[in-house]
Amino acid sequence: MSSFIKKMHRRTIVQALIALPALSLFRALPHPSASSSDRPDADPHEIVEVSGWILKRSDLA
Amino acid sequence: MIFDNYEAFRAANFIAKVCILGSGPAGTTVARKLGAAGIPVVVLEAGSREFSDESQDFYRGTTVGDFYFDLDITRLRYMGGSSNHWAGWCRVLDKLDFEPKAWAPDTGWPISRADIEPYLPEVHDILELPGFRPDVPISDDIRWIQLIKSPAVRFAEKFADELDKSRNIAVVLNTYATELTGDGKKVTGARLWSNGQDAGLFSADYFIVCTGGLENSRLLLWSNQRSNGGVVPNAAALGRYWMEHPTFEGGNAILADYGEFEVDAVNEAFFSPSLAAMERLQIMNFGIRLIEMPYAGIKRVIADLACTAPDMAEWAAYQLSQNLRCAAQLYVAWEQAPLASNQIVLSKTDVDHAGVPRIELHWKKSELERRTLREGLKLFGTTLAQKDLGRVRIADWITDSGDFPTDEETAGHHHMGGTRMGTDVTRSVVDANCKVHGMDNLYVGGSSVFCTSGECNPTTTITALACRLGEHLSKVVAA
Repeated sequence: MSSFIKKMHRRTIVQALIALPALSLFRALPHPSASSSDRPDADPHEIVEVSGWILKRSDLA
Repeated sequence: MIFDNYEAFRAANFIAKVCILGSGPAGTTVARKLGAAGIPVVVLEAGSREFSDESQDFYRGTTVGDFYFDLDITRLRYMGGSSNHWAGWCRVLDKLDFEPKAWAPDTGWPISRADIEPYLPEVHDILELPGFRPDVPISDDIRWIQLIKSPAVRFAEKFADELDKSRNIAVVLNTYATELTGDGKKVTGARLWSNGQDAGLFSADYFIVCTGGLENSRLLLWSNQRSNGGVVPNAAALGRYWMEHPTFEGGNAILADYGEFEVDAVNEAFFSPSLAAMERLQIMNFGIRLIEMPYAGIKRVIADLACTAPDMAEWAAYQLSQNLRCAAQLYVAWEQAPLASNQIVLSKTDVDHAGVPRIELHWKKSELERRTLREGLKLFGTTLAQKDLGRVRIADWITDSGDFPTDEETAGHHHMGGTRMGTDVTRSVVDANCKVHGMDNLYVGGSSVFCTSGECNPTTTITALACRLGEHLSKVVAA
């Protein structure tokens, strides 16, 4: 393991591993509620249930 | 006075006006109330001072229906009863728990919470509790409630010295009341089993059955069978409407600020629905226990969230990187709908060493309860999202309507119902004063008189009801 990696904070690595790939990888996926969330009149505060998550529609943007 | 066996008690020539069966929280509390009023009372305890496998064996039984604990594990048969293994969580049933609910048959008590509130200061002394704070509504639908972790008072340890010194209370150990005898108006005696054999009939003016939320029904069913209905003349509801608090991990939550809710020493916080929400969704009461999640588990939850809401996952990962606690497991315990089909019956094939039929417990969770679990988690998740307090993920087995897991908590070891309180003799066993319908001198103490279970642990309510029963009986006996 390089000294660069050793010096990195463990949680920074976790953040990089989890959040960054997720952003690029999963944003491209079609979402079940995508059509309605794309509607200009869709309420961003509307509560939706997706894959067991109870979310605001704006979370899906 | 404490006697180690029935023979020693008999030699002491102690004359009791009241006979209490069982020395758990209910029996001990009623005895202390009566003793303080100057009424001579004997407490017959089937077990000894300490746990023993031989004594526990009398509690073996079988369960029909949903998976449940072994019946000789879920309760304790020695001085102090099941207070010897309770965890100490305390809360009194809610005001709404006493009220009938139009969407759930056989709910509602003949008393209200106001009837037991005068006894709560005594209960706080007995269970060593600080005062409860009022519930805090965090939305129209969800209340942030308080359960207090008491020192888990072991009744035998705490009160043994007081009982031993009492001139009015005689505790008799290793003395098992195998049946009550009665003539349809009065109990005429308790048949005893001591030292491995029949020890004859014991007489007193009044009898109070406080042998636990399973055993009370067993004793009365067997006594009634032996006396051709002479102990519980109106027995249609006897053994029925038995309830527990099913308890399962229902999902996870990512929280904006874990510190938003003041948590107890073990980092847990509790939430319940408002009556309006229960009414609107036609569900039962429930309690969501929020437990801080281990670090490794948090990563899995955030990774799962990234699949659905990447920005939210990014935020959660940032929270994690800042060393903030940001995720919790959600354990849900809920109120069971009272069902006559959930019942204790006597085994036709298996008896204990004294010849008393063992328990066959019929227990099954209903569709209303499954809906309570799912809608309750949705309600909690909706509140957290609307208030931007966090986000909830409901476990797959719940969203997929799968089977209940068999490797989780399952239930609370809370045995309620079987001799429920009421005014309709076809749907209850005891009246508002815990007196068996139609009997002049037979009372029942403990959670078997509960009409509904609410969502909270029963010991606080059991103790309050026992204080109330003790005070009532003090007046009745003195009259």
